[in-house]
Amino acid sequence: MKDTLLEVKNLEIDIQRKGSTPLEAVRGVNFSLAKKERLGIVGESGSGKSLTALSIMRLLHAPYEIRGEILFNGKDLSQLKDSEMARVRAQDLGMVYQDPTSSLNPVFTVGEQIIEAIQLAEDVSDKDARDRAIKLLEEVGVTDAKNRIDEYPHQFSGGMRQRVMVAMAISTNPKLLIADEPTTALDVTTQARVIELLNRIVEERNIAVILITHDLGVASSFCDRLAVMYGGKIIEEGAIGEVIKEPLHPYSKALVNSICTMTMDVSAPISAIGGQPPTLLSIPRGCTFHPRCPVAIQSLCEVKMPILEIVSQRRKASCHLLEKSR
Amino acid sequence: MSGLLEIKDLVKHYVPEPGRIVRAVDGVNLHIEAGTTLGLVGESGSGKSTIAKLIMGLERPTSGEIKLGDKTLSELKGSELRQSRSDYQMVFQNPFDALNRRKRVLDALSLPLEIHTKLNAKERLERCLELLELVGLRREMLERYPHQMSGGQCQRVGIARALALYPKLVILDEAVSAVDVSIQAQILNLLRDLQAKLGLTYLFISHDLSIVRYMSENIAVLYRGKIAEFGGRDSLFASPRHPYTLSLMNSIPNPFNNNKLTFSTSLIDEDKLSTTKGCRFFPRCERPTRGEICITQEPTLRFIDKSLVACHFVETDQVLNSK
Amino acid sequence: MSTEASALQQSNLLRRVWAKPYGLISITFILLIALSALFADWVAPFDPNELDTENIFSRPRGKHYFGTDDLGRDLFSRVLHGGQIALIMAFASAAIAMIVGVIWGFIAAQFGGWLDEILMRTVDAFLAIPIILLALILIAALGTDIPILALVIGLILAPATARIARSSVLSELQLDYCNAATTLGTPRIRILFREVMPNTMPVLIARAVICAADAIIIEASLSFVGLGINPPQASWGSLVRTGYEQLFNGYWLVLFPAIFILLAIWSLNSLGDQILDALDPRSES
Repeated sequence: MKDTLLEVKNLEIDIQRKGSTPLEAVRGVNFSLAKKERLGIVGESGSGKSLTALSIMRLLHAPYEIRGEILFNGKDLSQLKDSEMARVRAQDLGMVYQDPTSSLNPVFTVGEQIIEAIQLAEDVSDKDARDRAIKLLEEVGVTDAKNRIDEYPHQFSGGMRQRVMVAMAISTNPKLLIADEPTTALDVTTQARVIELLNRIVEERNIAVILITHDLGVASSFCDRLAVMYGGKIIEEGAIGEVIKEPLHPYSKALVNSICTMTMDVSAPISAIGGQPPTLLSIPRGCTFHPRCPVAIQSLCEVKMPILEIVSQRRKASCHLLEKSR
Repeated sequence: MSGLLEIKDLVKHYVPEPGRIVRAVDGVNLHIEAGTTLGLVGESGSGKSTIAKLIMGLERPTSGEIKLGDKTLSELKGSELRQSRSDYQMVFQNPFDALNRRKRVLDALSLPLEIHTKLNAKERLERCLELLELVGLRREMLERYPHQMSGGQCQRVGIARALALYPKLVILDEAVSAVDVSIQAQILNLLRDLQAKLGLTYLFISHDLSIVRYMSENIAVLYRGKIAEFGGRDSLFASPRHPYTLSLMNSIPNPFNNNKLTFSTSLIDEDKLSTTKGCRFFPRCERPTRGEICITQEPTLRFIDKSLVACHFVETDQVLNSK
Repeated sequence: MSTEASALQQSNLLRRVWAKPYGLISITFILLIALSALFADWVAPFDPNELDTENIFSRPRGKHYFGTDDLGRDLFSRVLHGGQIALIMAFASAAIAMIVGVIWGFIAAQFGGWLDEILMRTVDAFLAIPIILLALILIAALGTDIPILALVIGLILAPATARIARSSVLSELQLDYCNAATTLGTPRIRILFREVMPNTMPVLIARAVICAADAIIIEASLSFVGLGINPPQASWGSLVRTGYEQLFNGYWLVLFPAIFILLAIWSLNSLGDQILDALDPRSES
């Protein structure tokens, strides 16, 4: 446990509504991340995966209400003053967002934005910061970086903008990088290159990563461990190979069976999960998945929420049926 | 060979500023046999969405011909064009945006009926109920507004609306891209069922090669406005010939083996790929046997086994005869 | 649409405006002014034109809540009756501005091309001319009866309305539901009026309310410089004008009409703002 970089305990996020009970978006999330480890958080809309990531960076404000502990290198981020948190964000955390178009400021050059990121964290002269920025751009694959550093975001294509974001995020050598659906808006070939880039960079710089995605393939090609979220909770967690090849939770099983792969049987219907993901307004009682679950036991699953069972070292799933079989 | 939809030498050029031409679609030939699905795969900038807009008449081609059955769509205008629409329809990518947020499902489904048929209100209601049943929605959905439904439900409404007039051809433009993964499977199953039940012909446009493979009997791979490769599902996936098709397939991460993706060549700066003469794919091409000719001459589509490929360095056998 | 956004349901526009304190106050004021003007004949303690030469320039006291003017007429009654003119101006001008402006803007948006260019450059030309000057030209051409005045003010407000109408249509036309309507074979006019227009209504309503406010102040300004309603007819603007000329005989002669103008415009503007805020999806979270 000395190697633990981040530990999230009992994270709960509510959305306050005027004149109504709050909506529960994240309902008790626990996970830990070791140094250099890559955790993938997979889920569909309403699962709470993005909110979880944003809450680690403390980027959520009213009407979001956050409870729980977020221990980063032993310090509880949720208890820090704003100025202290800003330092942590500048020095130790990096974030890559989904839409490179809206996450880069269109009125500043790419260079100005990277230099700003560097100078927020470290006391570095303008010239040194600029040199570093140029090297960073080269590292992420921007050719002619000496000139392109003075270009504006709109002069870059989507894939290249995403690389600029990665450059910004790693500019201060953070210990943790959070990537929120970084490749969703990109073409598949560009996506592959960005993932490859991330692979190389976090390997070289020993950065731990939390990758949020809805794409199991992307998670599989990058992450060491996987947490599957559904209805605001983590319902399964473990080494990525195990979770995908032998999923324990009925949702994970069904999800894995419902995705299209290049080798699937084209003559048969896809085994789809019926119904739809729960909306925040109508979270089912008991196990959140029970209305869609092929093996739910009405009297049990409708009534009681299953607890996260520790099946083995760092392998967990929360399903009543698992408990029964032990 | 003739099919339900025939596209000949379709070209669409945009001129955003004087002196700059964007060749969105640059000489595309396609045909789709009735009752089958043609998959159109490409990235952004490939022209696949433009082709959809041209077929549907949302844009006019710069040149070329689009024929549906014996009607030449590309020549229709005004009220003739509007009337022809009952034969071919489209499902859009964003399920919420494709519906008028101030109209209920009933209004959305009735619109095509009001325009093209002489059914009275009661008959229209019945047809709307039939349509809802076809796409697996309960009758209570008729009174709902888009923001009261999920993405999957909105997309089903979009499909129901497209089927209201018994079209022969349905274009699915990234119809499952904006929907949750678990819902994608439902919608794909629904689409296949409907095709079998109603004898529909589909043009399935997507950037996701695995989904295209599942849905389509034939596949056309588009790159920057031209077809790079065209073939039947089995032959295309068993032996892809065009370097772009190969790179597409290599880019798709397989969830079941967690190999960290690596590329043999160094990172490519996508912004530095220019369009000059010669093959458009040349700047990104990793084929070892590239040559001088790639820069000077654009490759044309040629028959290799059972596929059409536009590349100078595929094992050449025959040259395609012009039809 | 994010799950959170769909969770916070869109509620009725009026209810949302009502809910905010500003909205409530604005609506209340407008109603008060409107009602008092409508029922001026019954509410006003005196006939606005009744002379009382014994009581000229008397300060506000007793039954003369607002005092009397140079001919002994009760100011309160005159202000109330002046409200009638203000209301007529507000509604008639706003109506004219909306009808002319919306058609202008919708045609430009729907047809595009050179027609759009011509129409919009005409808008630019009108907007470049100062309002008083424009009014002068139009009044010289058309006259100064009350209906003509309403027309003039409406025409002054139409170009800006056209711009707003056009941009709201253009932003709707970009959405896929308009493409869908086209691919379903819907004729363009029907798309414009039956699909797009309902979605532009909120913006247009907000604009209409602000037109009403603008109309009041334009009328007051024109009357003040002598181009609009002339004394002895009681419009707020003409009252301010005569009051201003006789300021040293009684501050109340300017104060009260001016306060009414201020209140009316403020509450209308505020209402317009509230409507716009209530529409903005981002204001929900």
